[in-house]
Amino acid sequence: MKRIFFIFCLLSFLTSVTTINSQTIKSGEKLIFTGTYNMSGLMTQLAQVTMSTETVSTAKNSYLHLNCELATYSKWDSFFKIRDIYESFVNPANLKPSLYKRSIDEGGYTKKEKYVFKGNTVTSTSKKRKKPETQKTFTIGSSTQDVISLFYKVRTMDFSKFKVGQTVSLMIVFDEKQIPVTLKYMGKETISAGNLGRKECYKMSIGAKTDALKGKDKNLIWLTADAKKIPALLKFSIPVGTGQLTLTSATGI
Amino acid sequence: MRKLIVVLAIIFTILGVIFSILPMDTLAFLPIGLALVFTLLLLKKSEEEQKKLPKALLFICTICSVFVLGKTLFINDEVEVDQKFELQKIETKEEAKKELEEIEGLE
Repeated sequence: MKRIFFIFCLLSFLTSVTTINSQTIKSGEKLIFTGTYNMSGLMTQLAQVTMSTETVSTAKNSYLHLNCELATYSKWDSFFKIRDIYESFVNPANLKPSLYKRSIDEGGYTKKEKYVFKGNTVTSTSKKRKKPETQKTFTIGSSTQDVISLFYKVRTMDFSKFKVGQTVSLMIVFDEKQIPVTLKYMGKETISAGNLGRKECYKMSIGAKTDALKGKDKNLIWLTADAKKIPALLKFSIPVGTGQLTLTSATGI
Repeated sequence: MRKLIVVLAIIFTILGVIFSILPMDTLAFLPIGLALVFTLLLLKKSEEEQKKLPKALLFICTICSVFVLGKTLFINDEVEVDQKFELQKIETKEEAKKELEEIEGLE
């Protein structure tokens, strides 16, 4: 599941190297995806991924809460129950993160992470099941983001001027370190986008120096080729077969 | 040769049954398909008095196929409403709000 999530975020993140247009992410948006495993056309549905946005206010500031939940379908719960939460609290204007949190429960394995962003410094706190809490402080680049906020930031980018094969290099923070990511524009394709119907999409290939992603141009994301840039489909390669996240519902966009 | 086919047909039929019970959706057709292939081969290579086993395996494979198809077509996948998870989400959000205030206090 971590792989699915990582690829999902990474693919969209890689697209984000271009100039930002005026498009902003709205509060109240909800995207629901179905996560499946495929082998030679045969498939099984594993989990539901829900991405939502809402405004959270403190006494001083207002933040956009970017939330991503992953939950296995009830049929799998008896065998391998997954309940993951990934969330980022960002500046609504520029999507710069202030706080990133990750809480995973995958078949009994639990882990909690918290990243506090202060300028170019990140203080991370990590707590795994049956292990003591660890803390780490490291420096990041000025444009480095967490995977969740990057995913949304990608959607504010303008891909209309991209040429087929054009690549972009980016940095994200994941597993308490910076990871370089590359995004390649593969052209446009018309695919099904859940309740939005068939949509023309930007097809992007993602690559990263991590074990979570394998294969060349086998980790792909399709973003609707309109102002919203809704992720309609995500495919990733694993040694036996492929996995994919398919958009089933998009509301509040 | 027939013995090998018997073994393979039985193994894949058992796997087909297991995959049908597990929430594997259409992935279950993989062992079921292989079981069908070996069972039909076995049926072809069997004398009249030896056809009882392949016919039984064929019956099991057919039942498994119908079961898997029925599950895939008529049962919708749903995420269970998990009260513990819902509570965790609320707590995490409240906790984050406090942490954001702490961060603001440091600035």
